Amino acid sequence: MSRTLKLAGQAAALAVVAALLVLLIWKLTHQHHAPKLGTAAPVFSLHSLDGSGTLDLASLRGKTVVLNFWASWCVPCKSEAATLERSYRRYKSQGVVFVGIDYHDVTGDARRFVRAHALTFPMVEDGSGNVTENRYGITQVPETYVVDREGRLVLHIPGPINAQSFASEFQRGLLKALHA
Amino acid sequence: MIVRLAAVAAAALALAGPAAAACSQPRTSLTYLEGQIMCPTCHTTLDQSDAPAAQSIKAYIQKRVGECATANQIEGELVANFGAGILAAPTHKGFDLLAWWLPIGGVLLGAALLAIGVWRWSRTHEPDGPPGGPPSPNGKPQPELDAETEQRLDELLARLD
Repeated sequence: MSRTLKLAGQAAALAVVAALLVLLIWKLTHQHHAPKLGTAAPVFSLHSLDGSGTLDLASLRGKTVVLNFWASWCVPCKSEAATLERSYRRYKSQGVVFVGIDYHDVTGDARRFVRAHALTFPMVEDGSGNVTENRYGITQVPETYVVDREGRLVLHIPGPINAQSFASEFQRGLLKALHA
Repeated sequence: MIVRLAAVAAAALALAGPAAAACSQPRTSLTYLEGQIMCPTCHTTLDQSDAPAAQSIKAYIQKRVGECATANQIEGELVANFGAGILAAPTHKGFDLLAWWLPIGGVLLGAALLAIGVWRWSRTHEPDGPPGGPPSPNGKPQPELDAETEQRLDELLARLD
């Protein structure tokens, strides 16, 4: 009886250690990493910010897509808003689709932001941050990705696109994606 | 004089009116909610964060508290907006119940195992009674003497008599 109890105790202790090990491995393998350029853009389906339905990235296959991650509480997002809108107006006739992904934001604030900056391109909301953080590895906004017609990521701008260091890179990358 | 008093009373009523008619139930505590809601970008509760996202949510809560929304309503709206991860503590239903009951179960199991261990240890280390004769008057056990020693002891005692 005593031996059986001892064995059971040892088995339980081993099981707990094994479970903790599995948790550690799971955590290490599920850390958020930014997707690599040249790979397929992580797909998503998110609700439109204006409540008009959902937007599925897969439905934009065949078009060049600019994914801009932003939030109303983000100061640099305010500074890049006008540049984004100008770029959208400039390239939309060439088939470029801009999509704003509002991250960890209060819906009312986000809608006010869109109105205040007169943004006219489609906006979706990612309140939980699941797409932004888990699929795109983004924890700070603004960030922008460009997706080519084949659905591959071709450019990543880890900051506001109007910043001196990123402005020309964004234009070049967008043109490259358009003519690829 | 009466006109002045009436004017003062009217002004007081005008100021007090909105406040008195504001909420039909006790107003939700802003401090309480700030301890129950997480800042989504910094993963601490709102009351410990000054991050822009936290400020934005604090402003929203303040606005809803001002509109007499209950704590449950506000939490529900924030969960709808940000997902269940916005709550500092898991809910008391479904799978989340595990988060509440597992620690209690763990503590109970640990206490039970400890009690069994102590009981078993006390049984294996229980004194079986020392070898020897009955205890001496001072309570200490008395060693038993072999026949030869006892005979010699008797002889010695006889000499003393």
